[in-house]
Amino acid sequence: MTTGEKKRVINRVKAMYPLRAKVDESYMRSLEAIKAGKPTVWAMLNFCYGDPVLKAMDIEVVYPENYGAALAAAGVAREYLDRADAEGFPTHLCGYSRANFGYAARLMELGGQPPPEAPMGGMPKPLFLLSSVAVCDARYKWFQALGRYLDVPVWTLEAPLPGIREFQLKDCYEEMVRLSTRHLRDFIAFVEKAVGRKMDWDKLDEIANLMMEINRVSHEINELRKAKPCPMHSRDFWSAMPPALFLLGDLKESLQLYKNLYDEVAERVKNGTSAIPEEKYRLVFAELPPWHSLDLFDRLAERGWNFVIESFGYHPPPPVDLSHVSDPIERIARYSLQRMVSNYKDALEKNVVAGVDVYIYLKYVSEWKCDGAFLHPLVSCRSASTHLPHLANILMERLKVPSLIVEGDIVDLRLFNPQDALLRAEPFEEAMEHYRKVRREAGFDW
Amino acid sequence: MAAKGLLRAEEVYHDPTRRVRELRAKGKKVIGYPCVYVPLELLAALDIVPYRICGEMREPVTEADRVLPASFCPIMRSCLDCSLKGRHDFLDGTITVHASDPQEKTARIWQSYTRLPYFHFIDMPGTTRTEALEYFASQLDGMVTTLETFSGKKLSADRLNKAIEAYNQQRLLVQSLFELTKPSPPLVSGTEIVKVIKAVMSLPVDEGNQLLNEVLEEVKARKEKPQAKRARLLLWGSTTDDAAVMSILESNANVVFAEDCAGYRPYRGKVIVATDEVMALAIHYLLEITCARTFVQSTATPTKKDYQQDLQGRYGYLKSIISDWKIDGVILLLVRYCDPFAFEVPAVKDYFASLGIPATYIEYDYTEGSLAPMRTRVEAFLETIG
Ligand code: SF4
Ligand code: SF4
Repeated sequence: MTTGEKKRVINRVKAMYPLRAKVDESYMRSLEAIKAGKPTVWAMLNFCYGDPVLKAMDIEVVYPENYGAALAAAGVAREYLDRADAEGFPTHLCGYSRANFGYAARLMELGGQPPPEAPMGGMPKPLFLLSSVAVCDARYKWFQALGRYLDVPVWTLEAPLPGIREFQLKDCYEEMVRLSTRHLRDFIAFVEKAVGRKMDWDKLDEIANLMMEINRVSHEINELRKAKPCPMHSRDFWSAMPPALFLLGDLKESLQLYKNLYDEVAERVKNGTSAIPEEKYRLVFAELPPWHSLDLFDRLAERGWNFVIESFGYHPPPPVDLSHVSDPIERIARYSLQRMVSNYKDALEKNVVAGVDVYIYLKYVSEWKCDGAFLHPLVSCRSASTHLPHLANILMERLKVPSLIVEGDIVDLRLFNPQDALLRAEPFEEAMEHYRKVRREAGFDW
Repeated sequence: MAAKGLLRAEEVYHDPTRRVRELRAKGKKVIGYPCVYVPLELLAALDIVPYRICGEMREPVTEADRVLPASFCPIMRSCLDCSLKGRHDFLDGTITVHASDPQEKTARIWQSYTRLPYFHFIDMPGTTRTEALEYFASQLDGMVTTLETFSGKKLSADRLNKAIEAYNQQRLLVQSLFELTKPSPPLVSGTEIVKVIKAVMSLPVDEGNQLLNEVLEEVKARKEKPQAKRARLLLWGSTTDDAAVMSILESNANVVFAEDCAGYRPYRGKVIVATDEVMALAIHYLLEITCARTFVQSTATPTKKDYQQDLQGRYGYLKSIISDWKIDGVILLLVRYCDPFAFEVPAVKDYFASLGIPATYIEYDYTEGSLAPMRTRVEAFLETIG
């Protein structure tokens, strides 16, 4: 810990805790299940696309991206990174992937048994690998490269991503649906073959609906955070998001927990309860949080910084009525596409052609009334970083909102310097004050 | 008299925009593209001149710093930098592709900062599955639609077939050029080939074909040939379009095959039209171009991974190159932050090792300053292969 005393300042939402606890609970449960011989799959975060299928097929899923973060946090990533270097992987590659190569090399050296030094019991040898072309090259090239170590098949999930203007062309959306639906159907056939069982279609149907409902409630919770003062801090969002993002554990139970969270946040809005003692500045955070230095947010909260919205990639897609789509595969496909395509029309209207990951922050800042943006580029994760310089430019140009850019990394935790961020807080407050005036003069309403 | 053959290639290589500027002044439309996945046939068929946008290694990146992070593909950074500095002011538009992540991301930033009259982004699937291929074809249909609107012309099957023929001819000519590196000493050097191909990519297809014909004729007839050097190398990588890089590699060796996007890769095979021309293009570009960005495995739906079989399925085409061109060693050359290719490095090395061919990986940052260390690395490698 690097930011001195650990006084907790953020007023955490109580209903968040059971959701946060589901992460460890389901990890432990999944370890038990794996020990009992249940098939395990290594998957990339796939945004509501492949996960419901795995869930319906009763397969345990572990996410090496998340496990990479766990290795870094436990301080044991170095050994695996060195191993990946020695295996000949270029050092500029995604840090999580490099840690995973080192891990996989070690796993196979031990005959497929998780290494004893691996935290949380390690990741067991998978039945297959589920990669995704969404978000970055690493997320499919990485699993392909694992073929050096693991004699297991790989399925690569497609994730169409046309341009904002090109999306308006005739049939573009329907072609995306066609691709996704056919692809998912083939994926199911692949999974059935891999586990030697048939899909339970009723179960898939139920899971698809629960997934959409959980995400709808999660979306509504975030809408409540537009209130002034903001009732729920980004830290609570990050703590509560995994059950929705990764479909952890029992989905009916998750749905109830999100409803409880909604109720508590709504109650706070009614009572004017703030997530921090005194909300002076409202901020947006992009993209991946500095997991190892989260108490920085308490220090910033002491100064009146409330983080009211964050991390587009972790947010649920906006709700969409798909009740007329009877085929659960098509429903899943359309829902998964919704994350991006739901923003295309607005992005075009606002003439933001740089992609949804830029447009969305203009939306966040103007609807959640942010005074500043905290941008966190990561040296070895290009997908979470590339759009940030442009984002800073466009927020200033269009909305007169300044950005504070603090560099970090996903595995080299020393790169992020919370002290530096704190030192820059005061001048940034002056900038936020200044641009508040500029915005008012320009006719903005915050 | 205007220069011909290698001299003409040299001229165009050093001043690649001159010819397209002339054409533009005469009323032709010129569209730039930074990646070989753009089916140029569709442009030519609508009487549009395609121009390959390359980076400029000698130009320090300044403008792109405002809009892209530093730890990012330096080639894309350089291309964008040149655009932001107005070096591409002769273009009517650009076409970009979701080839690699850096290109997809740069494309969107590019479009935001350079307001050219035409811009089109082609989304590409990650796999070669049937549904992916059909989606890619639909994306090409979308490109035809915007090109037709932009050019005010309608794409005709006849003109498209003619364009396909012309580019197939170009593929064949480049393949013939590489045939001339088979003998020892090779009839043409790797450095000369870099210049010729960059020139071809900066000219309309017919002029490029004429240049290639001239070069082939000249090279076959000339007395002074490149010397046979210490080793015959294969270059494997993303894009090496700067002759200075190639001449470093060729200081003490002959680079007789360049498996990269400014070498043989865009010219492999040919487009075969069965019924639908656009589908034929989709098939060719998605399946034939051996860029690391596409997820390929030995069987479409494997139940088990067999690493050796997978290597064979993915890189097997390199085996005959190794024997036909009598390759002694391989240089895997990448710019830093080229993720799709960098993930392949250990596997490609494994494959060459299985053939008993030594290979080394060299990374550079696409600046002139990186050339001296590169020379040292190549020398060290040549020492090891004797
Ligand atoms: S580069 Fe970033 S988004 Fe991609 S796999 Fe690595 S951590 Fe994940
Ligand atoms: S393939 Fe590599 S060199 Fe080419 S654009 Fe992509 S990252 Fe850059």
